[in-house]
Amino acid sequence: MPELGRAALAACLGLALYALMAGAYGAKARRRRLARSAQNALLAAFGASLVAAAVLLAALLRKDFSFVYVADHTSLELPTPYKISAFWGGQEGSLLLWLLILTGFSAAAVALGHRSGADLLAWVVPVLGLVTTFFAFMLVAVSSPFATQPAPADGAGLNPSLQNPYMMIHPPFLYLGFVGLTIPFAFAMGALLARRTDELWIVATRRWTLFAWTALGIGQLLGAHWAYVEVGWGGYYAWDPVENAALMPWLAATAFLHSVMIQEKRGMLKVWNMLLVVLAFCLALFGTFLTRSGVVSSIHSFTQSPLGPWFLGFICLITAGSLALVISRLPLLRARTRLESLLSREATFLYNNLLLVALCLTILWGVAFPILSEAVRGEQITVSAPYYNFFLRIFGLPLLLLMGIGPLVAWRRASLRSLGRSFLWPMAIALGAGGLLLLLGAGSSWVGLVAYTFAAFVLGSIGYEFARGTRARRALAGGSWPAAFSELVARNRRRYGGYVVHAAIVLLAIGVTGSSAYDKVREQKLRPGQTMAIGDYRLTFRSLVQREGPNARELRALIDVRRDGRSLGTLQSGKNSYRAENQVSNEVGIRSDPFTGEDLFVIADQINGNGSVDFKVLVKPLVNLIWLSGVLFLAGSLVALWPSAAEQRRLAARYRELRALARA
Amino acid sequence: MARSQSPARLVIALSVAAVLAVFLLYVSIAGGTPSIQPSQLKGRSGEVALVGKVTGRPSGDAHAAQGLRFRLRDVEGSTSVPVVYRGSVPDLFKVGREVRVEGRLQSGLFVAKRDSLRTKCPSKYTPAKRA
Amino acid sequence: MTTFALAVGALLAVACALYVALPFLREPAPRSDRLDEPDAPERRRLELAEERDRALAALKELEFDHRTGKVSDDDYRELVGPLRRQAAEALRALDPRAEAQEGEKRVRAAG
Repeated sequence: MPELGRAALAACLGLALYALMAGAYGAKARRRRLARSAQNALLAAFGASLVAAAVLLAALLRKDFSFVYVADHTSLELPTPYKISAFWGGQEGSLLLWLLILTGFSAAAVALGHRSGADLLAWVVPVLGLVTTFFAFMLVAVSSPFATQPAPADGAGLNPSLQNPYMMIHPPFLYLGFVGLTIPFAFAMGALLARRTDELWIVATRRWTLFAWTALGIGQLLGAHWAYVEVGWGGYYAWDPVENAALMPWLAATAFLHSVMIQEKRGMLKVWNMLLVVLAFCLALFGTFLTRSGVVSSIHSFTQSPLGPWFLGFICLITAGSLALVISRLPLLRARTRLESLLSREATFLYNNLLLVALCLTILWGVAFPILSEAVRGEQITVSAPYYNFFLRIFGLPLLLLMGIGPLVAWRRASLRSLGRSFLWPMAIALGAGGLLLLLGAGSSWVGLVAYTFAAFVLGSIGYEFARGTRARRALAGGSWPAAFSELVARNRRRYGGYVVHAAIVLLAIGVTGSSAYDKVREQKLRPGQTMAIGDYRLTFRSLVQREGPNARELRALIDVRRDGRSLGTLQSGKNSYRAENQVSNEVGIRSDPFTGEDLFVIADQINGNGSVDFKVLVKPLVNLIWLSGVLFLAGSLVALWPSAAEQRRLAARYRELRALARA
Repeated sequence: MARSQSPARLVIALSVAAVLAVFLLYVSIAGGTPSIQPSQLKGRSGEVALVGKVTGRPSGDAHAAQGLRFRLRDVEGSTSVPVVYRGSVPDLFKVGREVRVEGRLQSGLFVAKRDSLRTKCPSKYTPAKRA
Repeated sequence: MTTFALAVGALLAVACALYVALPFLREPAPRSDRLDEPDAPERRRLELAEERDRALAALKELEFDHRTGKVSDDDYRELVGPLRRQAAEALRALDPRAEAQEGEKRVRAAG
């Protein structure tokens, strides 16, 4: 069986190499059959990686400990879902998942990409082949999941902190995002290689980019939720390199999503978009590298990991190659139109891009700083939350405001007069909200107050846009308000789906602001029977109970919660002691308020021998808006992603027209 | 009506310059924290992040006034330094575990900053366990 | 187990090789093996087609923005003229002969 897996990976490597070399030659020499053959090789590579994946999955489910990988990451008593998640729980398996998703997406992109033109596709294939070759090579030669050994009696098992449902969904979503960014990259490079000056590559990859971006966003939210409820320190984001690894490509992809709209509409920013897509893809590779090898801690651990030099080498190759390609094709990328006014929607998109890229690069600097400083000064200097939070505010607050300004500004040129009229309602809402919040005591944090006011402005502007659009639609075609509304959205899925996504981001911003700028923390040692107060809550520590779970001894402090004299139930907070692994984990107690979205977060920090417990209690206002925003985010993305009949017809007509033009 | 000199480039240049200025200002004021091992601690008086392996027998209570006392030694070496810490203790903390704690050396004793103790968790998908 | 694996592996290898060679097997002696590629005039037409679509889309959007009130009457009057001209130019550049009439119709319908 492992032989089949190894053979499948070798076949995948061979097919990818063929796709790269034959594809490049076929495209360069304009050989139709060779190019087609290379395409087929890419599709066959998917089949090969599917076989390899099936072999590994079968071995995991069969508890075949003769596979080193299976023995290292599962055990006899591990529940089945975690046997499956062990596929991506280790380095080799996660690389195989990358390969599987990559070949799958490549196959789909190539199969669906025929409308973009045979010459473009002919160059996309070798680019995809190059990336596939790298990962296949790593799996064959450097980090194989099919190493064997004499089977031990039992496996090493999975770290208990990883045995939760999040392990099933968080990594796959992130990988769908990381890998998904390869497709727009490949099409962009393909367009350059094919010397195309049109925007077909953008139209072809628009949905891919949106899909990858959405998956990456959801994956990060899932990770944040995992950190919040399972790791349980009271926060959801620690600016850890591993977390930043996913945030950076997401920010670059956000910038890219917006600026390609400008290229589509106005034919501007061609060079910028090329650079952005390269940045997004390289950051996705870098992110994969960071999460897989945990390597950024120091140069020494870097060189110890076998993957490190290879990944870094590949990233350098891609960066250098793409930049060289962009530079060599600069004459083709000259824009015909210029930015007409600094007060136009194009300009706001440009500002949005600058802020996003600036934030992305400052995070990258923070992540790379320890390594750079160690290389230069021999000493690692790390930056932490204060650095990141500073820049998040500097760039994030203007970004928030721009989300509200952008939709209100017209394309090309907006006169101050029409701007003033458009801004009236949203500004009124914002100022009203700001004033109200000030009265309610939000002035304790001026950053928070500003964030809230901006958020109100954005929500006001989005609501205003929906209202104006519906009213215009109704004036045009009649019908009821709901009918006009759905007609409006259906005809402009990208725009209004985008507004819903913006609203989700605003909710996220509100949730983050509330839970960071206005939270309360209290630490107190309590004996059974004693009470502590925090905010409006009064917590009484009743007793300590101990029970035997399936693989751990569970110690819980029972706490009665009251607010304004009314009982809010009992919370349990404590620790689990895992017998086999000899590890202790934190099990926090969270009470979510369904009306205010506030969380009461109780950590039993230290359980003492005399029965007293050192508690750390946090009140986190509005934190549940963060999770709610994920739902809205997904909904908005789905609306924007949804194929529309009118658009399909338009694209089909254009495609027919192009074929006619080509023959004429 | 297009301007002969595109404002886009000017906007980009000014923005980049502004960003750099803010950045340099911040980094020079706030700075980062050097990560060093106990053997490099000698003579340093500023705030640092000490990285090392827990050794000796931890005693005391991190939540009590006297704090948790333990020794930290080089990851690969024997030089060790006594540490006193107050605040939350991560679950994975134990003798032999690699940890990171911020603070400063005061008369031969490393006084840690409250709640700054982190363990270097070997697990792949969770960030290092927090206090 | 191993023989089964070997057999499956061999089968798959053959299938892959066949699939990769398929284009050559299907057309051992084709009339033309040339990859279709737009030449310079065709590329220019592609660009023009995109310009035309862009101009028409911009007109439509301007119309919509005007209707929703984002663009005032004065701004609309200022912007619509140049846009219509741009669209007409793009149409003319694409096909000066027959499309002229067709073009006028499309521009009027969009704006």
